[in-house]
Formats: sequence, C-alpha cells, structure tokens
Amino acid sequence: MVFRKGQKIEIFRKSEEDAWEPYMDEYVGCHGIITDPDTAINDPDALVEVTLDGRGTHRLPQDCLRVLEDQGK
Amino acid sequence: MSDTTCPVNHAIIRLKNIIQSGSLTHPKIRRIADEVLELLEDVAWGRAGNEHLNTVKSLAQEMMTQSLNESGSEAGKMVISALDEHPEIFSSHVETHNCAAGDCVKLAPAPCQMACPAGIDVPTYVTLIGMGRDAEAIEVIRKDNPFPWICGLVCTRPCEFICVRGRIDTPVSIKILKAFAAERAMSEYQYKNPEKEPDKNRKVCIIGAGPGGMSAAYYLALKGYTVRIIEALPMAGGMVMVGIPRYRLPREVIDRETAMLEDLGIEFCFNTRFGKDVTLEQLRSEGFDAFFIAIGAHKPFKMNIPGEDDFPQIMDSTDILRRVALGDRRIPGKRVVIIGGGNVAVDAARTALRLGCEDVTIAYRRTRSEMPADIEEVEQAEEEGIRLSFLTVPIEIIGKPNRVTGLKCLRARMVAKTSGSGRKSPVPIEGSDYVIDTDAVITAIGQQVDPDSLDTLPDLDMTKRNTIQVNMVTMETSMEGVFAAGDAVTGPATVIEAIGGGKKAAEAIDRYLFGIPQPRTPPVPVRRGRMEWLEVPAPTKMILKRPEMPLLNIDRRRTTFQQAELGYSENMIREEARRCLRCDICRRCGDCVSVCRDKMGIDALQLGYLDFDHTTATDFRVTGDRCITCGACAANCPNQAMQIRDIKNERVLSLCGTILNRQRLLHCDICGAVLGTGRYLGYIRKRVDKKAPQTTSERLVCDVCARKESARRHDDISPA
Repeated sequence: MVFRKGQKIEIFRKSEEDAWEPYMDEYVGCHGIITDPDTAINDPDALVEVTLDGRGTHRLPQDCLRVLEDQGK
Repeated sequence: MSDTTCPVNHAIIRLKNIIQSGSLTHPKIRRIADEVLELLEDVAWGRAGNEHLNTVKSLAQEMMTQSLNESGSEAGKMVISALDEHPEIFSSHVETHNCAAGDCVKLAPAPCQMACPAGIDVPTYVTLIGMGRDAEAIEVIRKDNPFPWICGLVCTRPCEFICVRGRIDTPVSIKILKAFAAERAMSEYQYKNPEKEPDKNRKVCIIGAGPGGMSAAYYLALKGYTVRIIEALPMAGGMVMVGIPRYRLPREVIDRETAMLEDLGIEFCFNTRFGKDVTLEQLRSEGFDAFFIAIGAHKPFKMNIPGEDDFPQIMDSTDILRRVALGDRRIPGKRVVIIGGGNVAVDAARTALRLGCEDVTIAYRRTRSEMPADIEEVEQAEEEGIRLSFLTVPIEIIGKPNRVTGLKCLRARMVAKTSGSGRKSPVPIEGSDYVIDTDAVITAIGQQVDPDSLDTLPDLDMTKRNTIQVNMVTMETSMEGVFAAGDAVTGPATVIEAIGGGKKAAEAIDRYLFGIPQPRTPPVPVRRGRMEWLEVPAPTKMILKRPEMPLLNIDRRRTTFQQAELGYSENMIREEARRCLRCDICRRCGDCVSVCRDKMGIDALQLGYLDFDHTTATDFRVTGDRCITCGACAANCPNQAMQIRDIKNERVLSLCGTILNRQRLLHCDICGAVLGTGRYLGYIRKRVDKKAPQTTSERLVCDVCARKESARRHDDISPA
C-alpha cells in the first residue's frame, strides 16, 4: 500500500499505465482524497480509489498520484 | 478552449462577446443571435427541454447561411462546432441538470454526488430525510442505486470523505441516514419499485448475483428487458453475502432488497457455474442478446512462505467468511492469527471471535496508522478483545504433522525509502524472529479474479492485473455484446463501485442493443430534484455534532452475530440531516465573502470551508455579530444560495437555509416605510457623515418624507 485512506493527493501527471484512459487527461492537476487504497499486497501497480474534488471517484494507477503536503485544515 | 471550461458556458461567453461588440449589423441576424443566446442560457441554467439543442442548431445554421457579414457567419459556425464537438456535454446539461465542470453555476453538482461512484443525488435525499420523507428519499436513491439499505450499512462512503461539512468539523453521516430511511420505508411497506418500461422482448444474461450484476439487472429490467442472473452460489448477494459478516450486514437486509428485484421479474438461477453448468454458446442459442460478467474476485493471493500448504488449519479469509455465511459455525481453533491489515482481515478476526476463538490476533507488517481497514472497524475489534500485532512479518508456518502450532515472524521497522517520496516501508529486523503460538492461521492479504471461471471465453482480453479489460466509460469488453464490471474489472474494490459499474453497463447494453452510439466520457450524475432547504439557525448549525453510533453490548458482540451497530434514533437522524450545507445550491465561489470583506469592508462571513485545499476556521455565528444586513452578499450570489428577505418585522440573511443574521427593521416615523436595520442605517450615516455631516436627529424619516418636510420648511420661510 503506497497511499493511506484519507490522504489528500494531487494527480500531477498522466499515468503511463494501460489503465489510464484518454478522458482522464483532464484530471491532471486535480486534487482529491484517497478513499480506498490498495488494501492487499502492497502492490505499487494496484489501482487505488481516489475521490477528486468535484470530478468524481475513480480507480487510478499510483504513478500519477502524489501526496499533498498540506494535510491539515 | 482550456480543458476545464464547460463548452456550454464557453459558447455563451463567446456569443455574448460577439453580440456586445456590435458587429452583427443585420437586424434579423442580431435577433437570431439573441434567441440562440437565450436558448443556450436555458441549457446552462437547467431550464432546457428536449427540443432546445435542435432549435439552437437550426438557428445557428440560419445565422451561417443568411448572414450578410462575416461576423454573423462566424457566430453561427462557432455555435455549431461547439454542438458537434461536445454533443454529450450539451445533452448531459439538458438531461442531468448537472454541469460536471461546474462552470454553469446553477448546475454545479454537489461534491458528494460527484464523489459517489453511482452518482446518487445526496443533497436531495438528505434533505428529504431531514423532512421525515423517508420513502421519497429511498425513491431518489434507487434511481441511481438499487440497494440503499445494503449501502447504508456497508458503503465505504467516498461521499463522506469529500463532504464539505467535514472541512468545518465532521462529515454528515450520509451512510447511516440512508440505512435509516431504507429500514423505515421497508418497515412501512413504502419501499417500492418504480414502474417498468414496456417489454422490449430482448434478453440479457447477467453472470454473477453480486452488487454489480444485480444493479445491471435492476436497471435493465426497468428498461423493459428480460433478465436472467446466473449465480454459482446458492443465494444472491455475491461478496456482500459471503464476504461481509452478518454482524455488519444482516442477511435479511440482502434478502429483502434482492426480493425487490425478483418482484421486477428478474430470474435467478442459483448453483449454476458459468463455463461449467452453462456456456456462452448455450445462452446465445437461448436467445440472449447481450451478456454482463460480474463474477467478482474470489481467489485468494498466496503468501508464498514455508508451511503455507502443509496444514489443514491454514485457511483464507474469504473461505472462512463464506463458510460461516453459508451456515458452518465450526471454530477454526482456540488460538487464531489473522494475517493482513485490511477490512477483510478485521472481518475474519471478529468472525473468529464470534465463533468462540479465545485468542485472536491480527498480524500486520506495518503500523496502526498505515492500516487500510476502517478506523471504526479496528476500534470495535479492539474493544471486543482482538489483539493487534504491528510491524510483524510472517516468515513460516510451523507445526506437528497435520497440526499448526505457531506462526514464525520477524519484527520490522519502518524505514524511509532513499528514492521517491520518502514514504516509509517495513523492513524486517534480522535476528528478531519469534513464534506466535496458534492453532489456526487465516490469511487476508487480498483476492484476485479466478481465471478458471473465464477459461471458456478465450477471446476475452485481460489486463496485466488479471482483471477483465474493459472500456471504463461503457464497460464493453473485447468481445462483441459482452460487458463487465465490479471486482472482476477493478480487482477487489467497493460495493458502491460495483453498483456504479453495473448501472453504467446497463446503460451501455441498452445503447448497444438499439445501435445508439456509446458515450466517450463517463456519465455526469443526474440531479434528481432541487429541494427547498431546511431552515437552521447559525448557532444550531454549528452546535449540531455527528452522533456516536450506539453499539450492541460487548458480551453479545463477542458471542453472537447480531448486528453490532444499532443505528441512530429518529431524532438523531433528523438532526443529522440538518447539518448538511446544501452544496448542490451553494457552489462555494466565495463571491459573498469577497464583496463583504473587500467592497463593504465588513468581513462578516467567516466561511473557511469554501476552498478544498486551504481550509480555515468557519463560524456561521460571527455573521450575527458583524453583519449590517446590507444585502451585498445576496446580490452577488450567482445561485441565490445567499438570500436576504424581510420577514414580518425583521431582515433575515440566510445561506442555504442557515440563518446567519436576523435584525429588527426600522420604519419611517412619518409614513411607516421600511428604512432598513439599525446597523445598516448606522453604517450609511457613518459613510455619509464623512462627506457631509448631518445634524443629529432622534427621528427616523425616509428620504421621501424628509424631502417633503424640507420643502414645507422652505415654503414656510420663503417670502410671499
């Protein structure tokens, strides 16, 4: 597991994974929250569930995500 | 056009600029442009009907062909190309009354609705529940999710993670509200199916009776399709039935919601394994036109440590949870170790405890803060007496012939990786090995799709993760007429994602069978209503707190499978609904705050929750202390979320029903006309006095009466 539930993240770039689809391009730069991390085998290739602010909930590859420093209110 | 701009809004802005530039010199073209603008504004404000887009197109074509100058022709071309390039977005504005980009201010969707993988209109149903209209709330929910009761008990609730109220204190308890409304509606026989469309005489086969499969079946049946569900297990529910223990989700809840599907005429074929008992070819020969695969991910990962295959007391969490769900209540051993840190590990541990295991330990390789299981579940497990062993890395299962005696582990420490983000990983400490004495070991390190169940479909493309390859917008697989969703596509995921996938697939199957082109972008959630808000005074809005969940007493929790969470009382539910900020109406643009602080110099709105990234303190009560009731905030609110009204003898300022300020109105001493509030008059007097000092007067007189009085005085002193 790379990310933890409740962490604020940013989609900082397109993923190089097959799971990245063209419609996801417009999510680059969006911020959101990890809502269902990889719960199983600590697999960096696993897709994690991310809820983006105002842009829906998606399963995304981990290589396009980074944790935002500001975690507090 | 930037990526984030809504094409509807963009077309409106460009057309407005052209009209205002005065370049449309021909009167007829100017009139048509005005009409097109008006129609586009209807689209952006959720007022458009089915014919709006066709009319816009034909008027724009008229502009193109009949314009005598370049400007008119360009304007027509611009509108047509916007319609041609983004037909789905224009239609979606008309059909869903939501603008995914949020640029069409009236249609900006609430974050909770956008966050829900099934797109449920949360603000509408929360408000209905707050009004005590539970059956109507369930009707709204079931337009997007056929299982409100199940989700009300087990949803992972992405909506609550993004809930704007969480930026003030804690999110609205959306999940529990849903469970309450479903239970109440079911209990009062008000939980009803909507009317089905007329029979289409087309057949669809669903493989798997889990949440994804049953959701697709529900929406297809409502559209008038004949639906059959094939299920390997002897009952419906899939992982919801055999993967979630009964103390979290009673079987009756699943059975009652499944029965609603049977009422729609959906046929269930239990104990039928796809590929063995029935094949795709057989089903095609029976006349099924489309197929939806939702077989889940039931095959456990292996740990690949010595001893793993050597003892009968080693089992996978999905196996034990399934056995218990199907009625086998045998104890796995007095002492049990569960390996893993997710919800499944916690479920297996709490199940083992309820079976009578005296010593239950969860062994997890990282620390508590990295545990992916829900914090509430972990806390409840600890209360029940389950031990958590962190930084524990299993390396071998040891025992005597045919009997496990212990789990050999190494201690670990968290070490920051030298490369990358500096995130810490567990690293085993050499020589720290020790043995946890145990009679049974349960692994809970995750599941994957069982490839054997799909081996009769060699043309079905799989991903490198061993999941079914689909187009995530339409859920189409590599096989013609075959769609898939749920864990079989995503890997082990959530119930609500499976439901959302099933709903998307139902829509795509409907389009496929009628030859309608498939969408290119994910569907935008549909706004199911625009409810009046619940009025709540600012102090109450701040004071109301999310209630603690009452739990079954600890002895019963340790010994029985009775539902552990007892649910909120009715009063708690209605109060909780009043905490909702109604983000479907207020889009949090901050214009009210800016105008109050920067233009009026008052700074009466302490709304620190507006920005996702930079949240500061919020206190609705501050407004009552500082506000002068000038109404500048309300006048600048694009959505009428902020309102100022004179009610009886008071001027009342409210934000989505939260009463921020309430002040007594003052009237003209002579004619009785409303003058405003004392604070407002004081503010005006202070500003006017700087320019032209007034004589002090005790009387309150409106401008009209003041002029009359002044005229009379002048008249009296004027020479005859």
